[in-house]
Amino acid sequence: MTTVPQTRAIATPARDSLRTPLLFLGMGVLLVLTGFLMGANYALLVVNMGLVSAIMALGVNLQWGFAGLFNIGVMGFLALGGLAAVLIAMPPVTEAWAAGGLRILLGLLLGAATVVLLVLLRMRMAPSRRRMAVMIAVGIAGFVLFRRVIDPGIVAVEAVTPAATGYLGGLGLPVLLAWPAGGLLAAGAAWLIGKTALGLRSDYLAIATLGIAEIILAVLKNEDWLARGVKNVIGIPRPVPREIDLQRSPDFVEQAARFGLNAVDASKIWVNLLYMLLILAVLGLVLLLSQLALKSPWGRMVRAIRDNEVAAEAMGKDVTARHLQIFVLGSAVIGIAGAIMVTLDGQLTPGSYQPLRYTFLIWVMVIVGGSGNNWGAILGGLLIWWLWVIVAPLGQLVFGSLATMMPEGSFMAQRLADAGEQMRLLTMGVVLLLVLRFSPRGLIPER
Amino acid sequence: MDLLNALVVFLNFVFVPAVSYGAQLALGALGVTLIYGILRFSNFAHGDTMAFGTAITILCTFGLQALGITFGPLPTALLALPVGIVATALLLLGTDRVVYRFYRERKAAPVILVIVSMGVMFVMNGIVRFIIGVGDVTFADGARFLVSARGFQEWSGLEEGLAIRSSQAITVVTAAIAVALLFWFLNHTRTGKSMRAFSDNEDLALLSGINPERVVAITWIIVAALATTAGVLYGLDKSFKAFTYFQLLLPIFAAAIVGGLGNPLGAIAGGFVIAFSEVMLTYAWRKVVLYALPEGWAPDGLLQLMSTEYKFAVSFAILIIVLLFRPTGLFRGQSV
Amino acid sequence: MISEDPLRDDRGNRDLSITRPRDAIPMDPIVPTATQPATSVVNAFLVGEAMVGGYGRGPSILNGCTIAAEKGQIAVIVGPNGAGKSTAMKAIFGMLDLRQGSVRLNGEDITRLSPQDRVAKGMAFVPQTRNIFPSLTVQENLEMGAFLRKDDISRTMEQVYELFPILREKRRQPAGELSGGQRQQVAVGRALMTQPSVLMLDEPTAGVSPIVMDELFDRIIEIARTGITILMVEQNARQALEIADKGYVLVQGANAFSGTGKDLLADPQVRKSFLGG
Ligand SMILES: Nc1ncnc2c1ncn2[C@@H]1O[C@H](COP(=O)(O)OP(=O)(O)OP(=O)(O)O)[C@@H](O)[C@H]1O
Ligand SMILES: [Mg+2]
Repeated sequence: MTTVPQTRAIATPARDSLRTPLLFLGMGVLLVLTGFLMGANYALLVVNMGLVSAIMALGVNLQWGFAGLFNIGVMGFLALGGLAAVLIAMPPVTEAWAAGGLRILLGLLLGAATVVLLVLLRMRMAPSRRRMAVMIAVGIAGFVLFRRVIDPGIVAVEAVTPAATGYLGGLGLPVLLAWPAGGLLAAGAAWLIGKTALGLRSDYLAIATLGIAEIILAVLKNEDWLARGVKNVIGIPRPVPREIDLQRSPDFVEQAARFGLNAVDASKIWVNLLYMLLILAVLGLVLLLSQLALKSPWGRMVRAIRDNEVAAEAMGKDVTARHLQIFVLGSAVIGIAGAIMVTLDGQLTPGSYQPLRYTFLIWVMVIVGGSGNNWGAILGGLLIWWLWVIVAPLGQLVFGSLATMMPEGSFMAQRLADAGEQMRLLTMGVVLLLVLRFSPRGLIPER
Repeated sequence: MDLLNALVVFLNFVFVPAVSYGAQLALGALGVTLIYGILRFSNFAHGDTMAFGTAITILCTFGLQALGITFGPLPTALLALPVGIVATALLLLGTDRVVYRFYRERKAAPVILVIVSMGVMFVMNGIVRFIIGVGDVTFADGARFLVSARGFQEWSGLEEGLAIRSSQAITVVTAAIAVALLFWFLNHTRTGKSMRAFSDNEDLALLSGINPERVVAITWIIVAALATTAGVLYGLDKSFKAFTYFQLLLPIFAAAIVGGLGNPLGAIAGGFVIAFSEVMLTYAWRKVVLYALPEGWAPDGLLQLMSTEYKFAVSFAILIIVLLFRPTGLFRGQSV
Repeated sequence: MISEDPLRDDRGNRDLSITRPRDAIPMDPIVPTATQPATSVVNAFLVGEAMVGGYGRGPSILNGCTIAAEKGQIAVIVGPNGAGKSTAMKAIFGMLDLRQGSVRLNGEDITRLSPQDRVAKGMAFVPQTRNIFPSLTVQENLEMGAFLRKDDISRTMEQVYELFPILREKRRQPAGELSGGQRQQVAVGRALMTQPSVLMLDEPTAGVSPIVMDELFDRIIEIARTGITILMVEQNARQALEIADKGYVLVQGANAFSGTGKDLLADPQVRKSFLGG
């Protein structure tokens, strides 16, 4: 292809090389300021979630920035990661297992076997009326069998102390294991989805992934035996000490006093710092791996495909296989982030997953940061998350004072009182539109 | 065995709800498909456009009710609908002016426009929540039923009742009028034909002297009318909630794609395909089967394929099946 | 590689080729030319003189070629594939930027007019590809051709139907469902609906059987007899030059030979290189 763009890319090397550190420095200043204004603990919470957002953004950037895959099912993969946290870390509910665990497992196996059989039939038999009939028959028989086996199991499991458990529980393993497991779970789902949907045009793929995310959420909300549905799983074990234990430890109180902090504040800060180290380690690893991968021949090929799919295909590159790989990898990263997020919260609340917050906001991060640039994705994650957090109280401040001027309890007053929250969405939209208009490559453009 | 009662149950719980839901989806899908045909991108802000039009209509309805103006047995919202349409048209034209036109002039890639529409979606979502909040709003008034279950039972002497809510009847009638108007416009007016020409072959339309900006503006106005109508009808039938309208995006897009993006007839067919599949697959057929089969033959269980919470799975599954086997949709859409 | 324009950077998404086919006519703005050629030598009804131009910022495809057509006459451009024939037509119709040279219609400089303005001035163009509205009926195609006209178009439509009787038969059928030859007739008919004084045709006989081709040429002669100037590109060089008042052989964007149709047909060198002996 033409060489015009490259000449421009190297035209301002000095400014470009300074740009990234300066932007990150600015971000740091923002966060420190937040700390001064709102307290260190608050700032740490913002930073931690910002870092998790950065991991999500890295995953989306992998798919969109580097491969041009239009995945707007981020929320679904995040939720799967969260599910992994429950499945790995919660203690098993032995009573529930005894009541119907095996039935459920068997039912799931039967369901999976039916699907495999259908796929095999489709591949092995010649296309014909007969194949259609056989497939329909197998499908119906499989479905009936599946429901026959699994339904009583579900009823039995969900009847076991529904107020406290009513689900199978997890494996009772250390929660840190849930992070890679979340990645694996999301990767598995992504593989299945990619196998069917990746050949589609981008806007079809978008709608398809949007639908998948809704389905995953529907499963999480309704299959109580799996993770208690909308009854939520709370008290997921933590990888770091609990604040209350720290406050009780004389050692810790003494150390805190040496820094001039009271035990309560110190314990919160310490816990958040520990979380931050863990998240930073994951973020660093993901960043390192994706940078290495993208500089490798494999990464160059992926980008070549993105820039000209037709030409790449003509050159004998297996476009679909590359797309599948990167779709699975990106989704895995998102799944890891989902597991981390649930670990941070200590609970899985399927009702709180909303596409605007967990899919489209991540997209804003990637586009604003700079699609195709990992550093951009990280910056976008931190910046947009910070903005998201900060806009609500700011809006509240402005509109709240406006509301007090309105007659008490009037329609306008009510609207204005809520406006702070709605400001978030508005701000995100405006930021996205402004960036797309005036800096379509984002804050840190792809090199 | 009592086939008549089985039929009534079927009509009452499957057919009537599916027809009105299908009409709502069809109107929504028509908007999506028109934007795709003329502006050539998938508009993710469509659900929120519907929400905006509905929100304005609701506020206006409340205003009218406060003034003591009602529409007899019909819902007051129908009186307020024109206001909602005008407001939405202004919003869309403004958005086009401020946002989309820039990208059109630069001949931006469609996928860029899709991302731009995400930004618009955020903004509209914020606006809607600002003007009407996040809660559930019911605004239907007037007569509740066109045919009440009891009335039907007394009239027919059957065990089962058939209820047709007025919102359902209004939905179907209004949708039919809207669609008839749209097709008349597209097929019989010079402007409508020029829109179809533009959608068919943009360059040749330019060579024929068709003004693209005018075509685009008219498209937005029509989309505003369709989206607001669809949203108001949906809200009358169920209730209004900002988030629900955002979620309607999925079945609406499924309908438009299943019918063939860019093809108005397809959008209508797609709407009904999706609606019927959703309702039929999530309905518990037990009662129908009890009536339809001889005594003692009916299996136990609810005979529900999946719970209603999985209705998205239905839209989605149909979408995937159609895309895999007939990528251009049931009716040939613009995509090749 | 990053493309120059981030807005057109579609990240390889497949939808680009669907909504904006790659062979779409580029509508580049006309860039005012710095150097106008000296007073022209040709004074024909339609002249594209010393044209230099290309697509976007790409290399020049036209390298100073001159094309002219006299009132009511037929001018034909022939040449090998990729010679720039279609490009020359687009340049004359204002669909791509001329770096040098000028286009004149009836003595008036129209170099800077947009294609739409040229339509208003009485020019009509039938592109080589995508030259009909496939989902519109034949009749609607014709109506759209006359979109700019405010007067009664039924007489013109009647004339087109007389010229191409098959179109009358098929007038309620979507144009996309017609055969290739019938589509070409729709395309020519659409262009005639503006009652143009200049009709430009890019390979009107592409994909048309020999018999229909002769028909079509006859129709084109008929059109020319009504006083309409015709400029056309043709692959069937021999037949086209036979009916041409003026012929141009274009090679690599420049005039290789020009003369009356008969002269070119007689020229041994032209015969050898372009007419297959
Ligand atoms: N839209 C376009 N953008 C960039 N380059 C183009 C475009 N269209 C044509 N070209 C290039 O311009 C050159 C001349 O093309 P043109 O279509 O004018 O040839 P032609 O003489 O009409 O050939 P044919 O007989 O095959 O129709 C070719 O090298 C082609 O690659
Ligand atoms: Mg050509």
